Amino acid sequence: MIDTFEILSTSGVVLWSKNYIPVGNNVVNSLIREVFIEEKVAPGTNAGEDSDTRKPSYKKEGYTLKWTAAKDLGLIFVAVYQSLVHLTWIDKLLDNVRALFTELYKDELKKPRTSAQMFPFDDYFDRQIHELEPHADATAPKIFEPTPSVDLTPPSSSGTDREGDEPPPMPGLRKAPQKPVYSDNTSTDATPVPTPDTSRPSSPAVSQLLTAKAGPAAKLSRRGRKKANISSAPVSSGDESPARLKAVKKGPTKKSMRRWDDNGMADEDDGTVLDYSAASLDDEAAGTPMEEVDHSTWGKRTGKGEFVLKDLDDEMDSILAAANSKKATSEQTGGIVGSSLGVIGGLFRNVVGGKTLTKEDIAKSMKGMEDHLLKKNVAREAAVRLCESVERELIGMKTASFTSVETTINSAMESALSKILTPATSLDLLRQIQSVTSPSALSLQKPRPYVISIVGVNGVGKSTNLSKLCFFLLQNKYRVLVAAADTFRSGAVEQLKVHVRNLRELSKREGGEVDIYEKGYGKDAANIAQDAVKHATENGFDVVLIDTAGRRHNDARLMSSLEKFAKLANPDKIFMVGEALVGTDSVQQARHFNAAFGAGRSLDGFIISKCDTVGDMVGTLVSMVHATGIPVVFLGTGQHYSDLRTLNVKWAVRLLMS
Amino acid sequence: MAWYDDDSWVTKALGPNISTIIIVTLIAFALPLLVHSYLYRARTFATLPTFLLLGPSGAGKTSLLCLFDNGKPSETRISQTPLSATITLPSNATARSSKYRSENDPSMKKNRQFQLVDIPGHGKLRHFTLEHITKLQNLKGIIFLVDTADLSTGSGAQSDNGLLEAAEYLHDVLLVLQKRYTSAKTSKGPKEIPFLIAGNKQDLFTALPTPLVKAALEAEISKVRETKSKGLLDSGIGMGEDAVEEEREWLGDGGEGKFQFKQMEEVNVPIEVICGNVLGDGTNGVEKWWQWIGDQM
Ligand SMILES: Nc1nc2c(ncn2[C@@H]2O[C@H](COP(=O)(O)OP(=O)(O)OP(=O)(O)O)[C@@H](O)[C@H]2O)c(=O)[nH]1
Ligand SMILES: [Mg+2]
Repeated sequence: MIDTFEILSTSGVVLWSKNYIPVGNNVVNSLIREVFIEEKVAPGTNAGEDSDTRKPSYKKEGYTLKWTAAKDLGLIFVAVYQSLVHLTWIDKLLDNVRALFTELYKDELKKPRTSAQMFPFDDYFDRQIHELEPHADATAPKIFEPTPSVDLTPPSSSGTDREGDEPPPMPGLRKAPQKPVYSDNTSTDATPVPTPDTSRPSSPAVSQLLTAKAGPAAKLSRRGRKKANISSAPVSSGDESPARLKAVKKGPTKKSMRRWDDNGMADEDDGTVLDYSAASLDDEAAGTPMEEVDHSTWGKRTGKGEFVLKDLDDEMDSILAAANSKKATSEQTGGIVGSSLGVIGGLFRNVVGGKTLTKEDIAKSMKGMEDHLLKKNVAREAAVRLCESVERELIGMKTASFTSVETTINSAMESALSKILTPATSLDLLRQIQSVTSPSALSLQKPRPYVISIVGVNGVGKSTNLSKLCFFLLQNKYRVLVAAADTFRSGAVEQLKVHVRNLRELSKREGGEVDIYEKGYGKDAANIAQDAVKHATENGFDVVLIDTAGRRHNDARLMSSLEKFAKLANPDKIFMVGEALVGTDSVQQARHFNAAFGAGRSLDGFIISKCDTVGDMVGTLVSMVHATGIPVVFLGTGQHYSDLRTLNVKWAVRLLMS
Repeated sequence: MAWYDDDSWVTKALGPNISTIIIVTLIAFALPLLVHSYLYRARTFATLPTFLLLGPSGAGKTSLLCLFDNGKPSETRISQTPLSATITLPSNATARSSKYRSENDPSMKKNRQFQLVDIPGHGKLRHFTLEHITKLQNLKGIIFLVDTADLSTGSGAQSDNGLLEAAEYLHDVLLVLQKRYTSAKTSKGPKEIPFLIAGNKQDLFTALPTPLVKAALEAEISKVRETKSKGLLDSGIGMGEDAVEEEREWLGDGGEGKFQFKQMEEVNVPIEVICGNVLGDGTNGVEKWWQWIGDQM
């Protein structure tokens, strides 16, 4: 059972929601924050056409969230359920709801949406839930498994209550169309999803259940259905492969058999009407004489409630079926009807703008863009991800006036880069130190030293950057204690001592004060760090800078000691130093270090050293942030103590795009 | 048949035929029209007065916009894209320009309409702010929403410090406005941009009262400005030819002493602080904000 289903706009308004069990809005908020905005959790990559993969999911506070989007309309569909239960039909529900919602309200959705009132979607949703939610849980996974062989097993067979009525699935129909039967229609979102079974699984139980509820929706649904008719009729009259046709046809046939057992034979004869999907929803327009007869008997026999119910039923079916066939035809026309006129028009639009982008249009340019990023020393993984996110954003978009595809891609990439590099929260280190060392009277906190520790692989310039940071703090008149917790590499302590002596010399006039805390070699680094913090607290230091031993990120033994270190020293900030020169390894380095501090603790930022040596190949910045979602705080840009900079995102993006 | 033959199409196209003349005339007249209509189709014809809605995430911007638009708030989640809506002032808050108009003047309704643009407040999405401030056609004012129940000075070590966040964002926005003024070419300077700091969530009992909100923000901005001036240079400065050469500038009077909102009047940005609440049935609700908007129109 799902707890909550929400339909939101990207601009932050909940357009429609259904709460079975109230879920705090921080759950969905953190999905938006961590997945969509900060991209800390990479969304599952199921962008392929033949996606057998499931929808991405996200876990938070014991809930699992699954979502899908209609990019062009700016909609997000989120289902929230308890992680403990294993629901296999959510993907399908999301797809169906997306198709229904985008079709039903496609006019309303074009206007700015600020209110939930214009979307009376409850009945449709309830019915979808009833249809999809398996009654016997045990059989559910099998039925909804997206393997082609069981594709067409009617889901309703899981409903034990009506099993007797169900005709056995016709063997001929079991030859499933291999492609997903339906995917989104109005939305061009690039993440089509596995659609295991037929477009509309017929439901046995719902028909009665919904009778009462459907009343108020009657008017609306009739209007909506007309719309659906208009949109689906031309589509379904297009040529379709027999297999697909059968699949579409199958649903309604089965249903009519279920509903009117005495009419069953007649309905089956209907096989001559090839385009059943269109016909079945035409009960008002009465496409065939057959339908007309049906219509009248039906109206008399079942009374108003049932009629309305059927209405809603059919409407939903037709929308889903239309979604289907639209997809199917669009797939075909791509190859065959690519007429010369279309090509010329495309070229023209490419120059003038106003072209709707497809995957093919941008594929070549995207490849070029990827190569460009690789040349800038961006790790392949990060480059691919950036390109994918740009692609996801662009497909289905219209290019602006007088902009070519290339320009559009360039500017999309530019904003993707600046989005990834821009920190989510303030990085004003001084301000944070200030609030810890001299807290305001209101906050009732005792002043204490601010602890920063520096980690990284061997030889990337940890001590050098620590000294630069120290110099910066000294200029701001802080009392700094440098703790030599590199008890491993010989000469490390001496090196720090030299730095501290230099810094003391340099800062004499400025007013800062610096000292070193060292206990020689061989001792446990975590304990030294802890003692250093204690020493600093007792002696009124403002900041403690802890230097740690360099370690290779794949050295499990040394890496594991970091967890204890983080616990004992409890630094306010852990910065990792990475070299701008390092290539693909950067992603792994960042990941391993980020994970090394145990649950609940991660890196707080990167210091990228030796930026002056790489020219415009500053790709490492992107790689590291990509791997962890953690911002770059400082850049080391030279040999002097003063060569430390904060990151200017504009500057970095300009270098990367040049 | 070669292209230079008498009856080839090239010859015809260049010859004084009546058909050629007609075709050429048609093209000559139709093309500019087509291009014109193509270019202007997308434009909105009349730009309404526009107000920007800024503020940190969770301040209640989207809630406020929904309330203005529908008369009642909707449920909201974190915004990812800007949202704009055309809103009509309620009849009790009159636009200043139409104070002396009759209630029944048909142009009244038109005059009471404005565009409100909600910009997402998440740190990574602030670039929208800059874009909108610099590009909006008919910007009549900026509303900066803060959550007055979340202005306590927290521990500071973590970044969950509401006051710091609000102040830093506010500082950056004001700095942009100041730069707009100081870098203006004309001697008169750019037109005035009224600025409303709207303290939201007054219905919560932890909310600070208006004078304290103002004082807290001013004090915090002073601190932000101070640490900014002491901070490191950023990588855009003095690194190669690609450097983004932007001279540093401090907010307010040369960045000295205490910052006060009054100081922004010098750069044509009059600031007001008014508190209210979107949700709950507090004392003032959003009436005063309506009035402020009306005053700017
Ligand atoms: N108590 C109280 N809560 C409010 C008030 N206004 C808004 N909220 C709540 O504050 C939360 C955040 O509101 P939003 O409008 O989504 O915030 P936002 O400013 O749009 O945030 P972003 O979109 O992330 O920039 C919602 O849960 C609102 O219900 C108010 O006046 N009082
Ligand atoms: Mg919002």
